[in-house]
Amino acid sequence: MTATTVPGGATGTRTTAEAETTSAPGDDGWVTVVWNDPVNLMSYVTYVFRSYFGYSQARADHLMRQVHEVGRATVSKGNREQMEKDVQAMHGFGLWATVQAVEA
Amino acid sequence: MLAFGRTPDGVGIGVRLDAGERTVLTEVVDQVLALLSDDPGGTAEPGHEGAASHPLDGLRMDGPVEAPTDPALHRLLPDASRDDAEVTAEFRRLTEGDLRATKTGNLSLLRGLLDDARPDLVIPVRDAPGVAAALTDLRLVVSQRIGIRTDADAEAVYTLATTGAAGRSDRVDVGAVDSDGSAARVFLATVYVVLSLLQESLVDLLLDDLPLDGTEGSSPSDVAE
Repeated sequence: MTATTVPGGATGTRTTAEAETTSAPGDDGWVTVVWNDPVNLMSYVTYVFRSYFGYSQARADHLMRQVHEVGRATVSKGNREQMEKDVQAMHGFGLWATVQAVEA
Repeated sequence: MLAFGRTPDGVGIGVRLDAGERTVLTEVVDQVLALLSDDPGGTAEPGHEGAASHPLDGLRMDGPVEAPTDPALHRLLPDASRDDAEVTAEFRRLTEGDLRATKTGNLSLLRGLLDDARPDLVIPVRDAPGVAAALTDLRLVVSQRIGIRTDADAEAVYTLATTGAAGRSDRVDVGAVDSDGSAARVFLATVYVVLSLLQESLVDLLLDDLPLDGTEGSSPSDVAE
């Protein structure tokens, strides 16, 4: 990711440790993973997480930094169909995302 | 410095472009639109999306959609799995046509706004997210052509654009750029930086309009099926 600016203050109320979406049990054994790339701006990645997933500034910022520093972040969790929808949306925004089955 | 700001009447987001900037941006948009319409395998059929979900699709010999061989197009239409070829192939078969249509729509939107720029490029607020996505796709293609593979590469491009801008050439060609330090490379670096400045200032404005606490209750991923 490219950091020409650091996004503004993280003042959301959600705890940043809560990294994964809660979801109903069942066939929700899939996740959407977003990967780091050298092009997308840090502010844009945060914007995508906030606008598409509706995440708070704090949570989106946490996930963005995970992508930037670790190289990847799990951004949503659910059934395969929903995760493929999320992956397609991320690709529409120009982020590189993959769908993965969670290890049992 | 090029940066989007809110228009005085508050209904849009605008930036002043000179004729040269407008021409270059239009040319880059047209080249990426052409890239997205590229269909070497003859498998993408705009207007026939319904066929993609036909129950007998699995039996069709022409069903699979191959991954793009051009790395820039591949970056716009990436693989949906790093280790499962079957997941990747099925995802591509079901979604690539829609994804191409989404990206083409966003780029066409920006193309139309550039045509209307006299001289300010003005984006209605409702269209701003689509323009931000289009700017991303332009940056992704230019970055591939100029060889940005790492964060250090990206920084080198910024440096090249800001220190070597004297070597501007007259036109941009995202289809063929020498890998050595030619005037075309400096020019493309400048285009990349301009696109980055435009996108960053646009995204800053879009972030201002989002609630800090989020809207997660209505998040698509949180809705139980």
